[in-house]
Amino acid sequence: MAEKKILTKDFGAPGLAHLAGYEQTGGYQAYQKALKELQPDALVEMVKKSGLRGRGGAGFGTGQKWSFLPKGVYPRYLVINADESEPGCFKDRYLLEASPHQVVEGLLIAAFAIGCNLAFIYIRGEYLPQHEALEWALAEARQAGYIGKNVLGSGFDVDVILHRGAGAYICGEETALLTSLEGYRGEPRLKPPFPAIKGLYGKPTVVNNVETVATLPHIVSNGPDWFATIGTETGKGTRLWCMSGHVNRPGNYEMEMGAPIRELIYDLGGGVWKNRKLKAFQPGGASMMVLLPQHLDVGLDFDAIQKAGSLAGAGAMVVMDETTCMVDMCRRYVEFFHHESCGKCTPCREGTFWMTNVLTRIEEGEGKAGDADLLLEMGNNIDGRSFCPLGDASTWFPRSCIKYFRDEFEQHVTEHACPFRKERVMVA
Amino acid sequence: MAVATDQVTLQVDGVSVTVPKGTLILDAAKKLGIDIPIFCSHPKMEPVAVCRMCLIEVEKMPKLQPACAIPVAEGMVVRTLTDKVKQYQQGVLEFLLINHPLDCPICDKGGECPLQDQTFQYGPGASRYDFQKAHFDKAVPLSDKIVLDRERCILCWRCTRFTEEISGERELALIKRGVHTIIGTFNDEPAQSVYQGNWTEICPVGALTSRQYRFISRPWDLDRTPSVCPGCAMGCNIQIDSRHNKIGRFQSRENLEVDDGWLCDQGRYSFPYFQRDQEFGSPSIRRDGQLAAVSYPEAVAEAAARLQRAGSSAAGWASPGATNEELFLFQRLFRETLKSPHLDHRQQGIHETDPEDIGLPIADIERCDHVVVLGGQEVIDAAPVLHLRLHKSQRHGVAVHRVDEVKAGLAAVPAEATVVGVLATAARRADAITLQNQLVSKVKGSVRRLIVVRGPNGRGAKDLGILPHLGPGYAVLNGRAGRPRAEWPKAGIRALYIYDASPLQEFGATEAELDWLRSLDTVIVQRFKPSVLDEYAHVVLPGRAFPEKDGTMTSMEGRVQRIATGIDAAHVWDDWRILQAVANAMGAGWPYRTSESIFADLAKAVPAYAAAAPAQGRVLWGER
Repeated sequence: MAEKKILTKDFGAPGLAHLAGYEQTGGYQAYQKALKELQPDALVEMVKKSGLRGRGGAGFGTGQKWSFLPKGVYPRYLVINADESEPGCFKDRYLLEASPHQVVEGLLIAAFAIGCNLAFIYIRGEYLPQHEALEWALAEARQAGYIGKNVLGSGFDVDVILHRGAGAYICGEETALLTSLEGYRGEPRLKPPFPAIKGLYGKPTVVNNVETVATLPHIVSNGPDWFATIGTETGKGTRLWCMSGHVNRPGNYEMEMGAPIRELIYDLGGGVWKNRKLKAFQPGGASMMVLLPQHLDVGLDFDAIQKAGSLAGAGAMVVMDETTCMVDMCRRYVEFFHHESCGKCTPCREGTFWMTNVLTRIEEGEGKAGDADLLLEMGNNIDGRSFCPLGDASTWFPRSCIKYFRDEFEQHVTEHACPFRKERVMVA
Repeated sequence: MAVATDQVTLQVDGVSVTVPKGTLILDAAKKLGIDIPIFCSHPKMEPVAVCRMCLIEVEKMPKLQPACAIPVAEGMVVRTLTDKVKQYQQGVLEFLLINHPLDCPICDKGGECPLQDQTFQYGPGASRYDFQKAHFDKAVPLSDKIVLDRERCILCWRCTRFTEEISGERELALIKRGVHTIIGTFNDEPAQSVYQGNWTEICPVGALTSRQYRFISRPWDLDRTPSVCPGCAMGCNIQIDSRHNKIGRFQSRENLEVDDGWLCDQGRYSFPYFQRDQEFGSPSIRRDGQLAAVSYPEAVAEAAARLQRAGSSAAGWASPGATNEELFLFQRLFRETLKSPHLDHRQQGIHETDPEDIGLPIADIERCDHVVVLGGQEVIDAAPVLHLRLHKSQRHGVAVHRVDEVKAGLAAVPAEATVVGVLATAARRADAITLQNQLVSKVKGSVRRLIVVRGPNGRGAKDLGILPHLGPGYAVLNGRAGRPRAEWPKAGIRALYIYDASPLQEFGATEAELDWLRSLDTVIVQRFKPSVLDEYAHVVLPGRAFPEKDGTMTSMEGRVQRIATGIDAAHVWDDWRILQAVANAMGAGWPYRTSESIFADLAKAVPAYAAAAPAQGRVLWGER
């Protein structure tokens, strides 16, 4: 089995990162088609019909999200979430680096579809080369007349502001992103009102992921029916999977929705490295629940992965071999969430701190009997009770590890040491 | 009756309740007497749902929901007592306490601490947290008024939201993130706000405490007395908290019509002025150039004899910090007993003083569409809590124009304005009336004014005729007008009776006036604390401070409010009793035994006071 390349099909074409190269591959044709042949409402319908679901993590229907904007309320804003910070995720980075114009074209189509005249790209602060690529692409698009007043004589005015984040994971959460974009502390906002009703500067706002908008030119060019033939019943098109960890060939792979996980890890990734056995893997990034070799035939698709007990999230695939200490993995991840917790709500702020302490204690061989249950109870008091998904997500991986690897936690406690210490390998 | 569609009916713990649309679950439950625990939620601030204490179950919603932030919906079924909720409440309190120092035994808040109370009511009996707590700075001076304990702070955001939403000063902010988050000022500079005391009251833990009150008392040892702030004419309602007959602090006593639950620091921290921390001398009479201690009857007799000698050439000055009852007797002493018209309560200059009709009640500022603050900051400085009302109004869409000149005020208000208010200090009363008159001809709606007079009872002093040219109730004196204070030194005055009721609104003599005092045959000083005037006095009559007496005060908007005795000073004569004794020594024959009986006569003399008596909750000459 091979990849199914739609977004990445021209990657590697000469000069793709620049306007001329991108146009050579048919770039900006979809945008022109949209402007000339399609009404905004028809575009929204088209995207709805295509079945495109957001690639940021929640998998919400893109066309549906657009149609939540209240009628007749202007200005309305489009914000592209390029704050890719989930440990294990590097697809947006790849898309922005290799073909920034594809993202810009998708952004412009989305802006036209929702009637937005001022769009924003919020890019992760650490993504400096990608920021430069985008800056360059935006300048070229502006010069070519794709961005500006009365674009290509269509009467559509659009401008794009590129904004760099300052290094907080929480700003990938859409309301925190908006708050940060407005210049405040990056902290999530109360929902409702949802951004569609009251978003950036209190105006109706759509927040879309980089990969989501990068898909749009292809839907416009080839039609929604074509797109809907790819993938599964509820997951259309392809997704980029960022594979990392104990695998022979880590990297980005564009896969059709529903392709088995086995294909990604074994056929494309070349299997587990060093001829070791697969212990577990984690789709979706640091937040998501661990899955086991028995789940290898699950399809790479929102619903199938959810049914298996995890979430596809932002499309990461972290592979763990048999030498991986799951307690240590939990400790590292929870420490990350503890570090990134914004401190706004009690369960996340205090809970991630306490969980970090407990997991560190277990890993250091100082765990107490009952620590695993304490973690589960804490997780129960955080998940669904914190202000935003950061707190919730901090509990998913450790709780799933306790479900599948409780013995390992108990072994740490009874042996007063980490059984993997000697041969432990750094992951993620 | 409300329209049916504006009402929503829901169930909370099996009981039906109907509330207006938009009501939060928390408030709907409160209406049924169901208490949902909260920390961050505050009725005067926008919901933020950060503490997560108030999560409850709502049918058809998979997650627990914050009752403080979710508006009710028709047919909603809310459950606050399920095992799931109870178990979670224990969990969130356990979280809140893992990094809380639990130093309740030495914490000022202990005993009135929502964290402590709710831990007892909803929390787990013990903590499973067995690690080192995160440590933070304790006793951080935020200003000369407030100390912050960062370990006790539970990051509820109430104080930061106060500085943003209530005062608009944005002085406190969250710094750092996660478990390391702290509250602080920019660059650790001292906080400048004049509303800092409110932070301590809204803080649900002992993180923000008043320096003046630190380690002074346990809440359960305090005696609490309702009163009115002596600071300015605003009339903010306070509670005098005292212990062992000493004032410990002033706390706010919410009156939505007046203070909206807030106090300014000038008022809140003014209590040391009224503290009887030592004995302030007995009544005394000047003999051979020295003040000699005598009994009250002796001093009263001496004062009466001296006043009687001066007769109609005696003048009387009473502080706008005195009660209505005292002021009423003071003017009777002069107008009836001594037949002298020379009365005043003002400090310097002569301000035109007509009835405050077409007045704008404080709470009506919110119902204006345009408010002109003539003099800008000087108005706020004269009545600081007014700023909070203005800020609140502004947030709700009232246009507030801070101007220095009448012309600018006139230009600021458009002709379409429907409800206009003009605010000014007494010093610019004439300008305010000019502006009001000009606005009346310009705009299509009504124009009312609110004058910030001097002193907590400056309004009462005017209403009751402590003026040379107007009697009680602004009665015209038909050619029997006296001379204002500024003219007294050249008016052949032979005796001066100064009733210096409050250390905050003193007589404040100028150099020239002090020279004049020295030349007078008789200077009688009735005061609380020793003052510079004692040097000039022939008779000193020690009276009481406002926490030591009862009576009524009239705020600048014409609200007559009661003050009650919170501090016992039985060995000092009540001020009205001194005034009555002086009058009776001259044969007045007054029969008063209580301040209430004086008010009854006062209300007969000024009928508007009968209609606006404290129990009525109305303002004088008000429309509402």
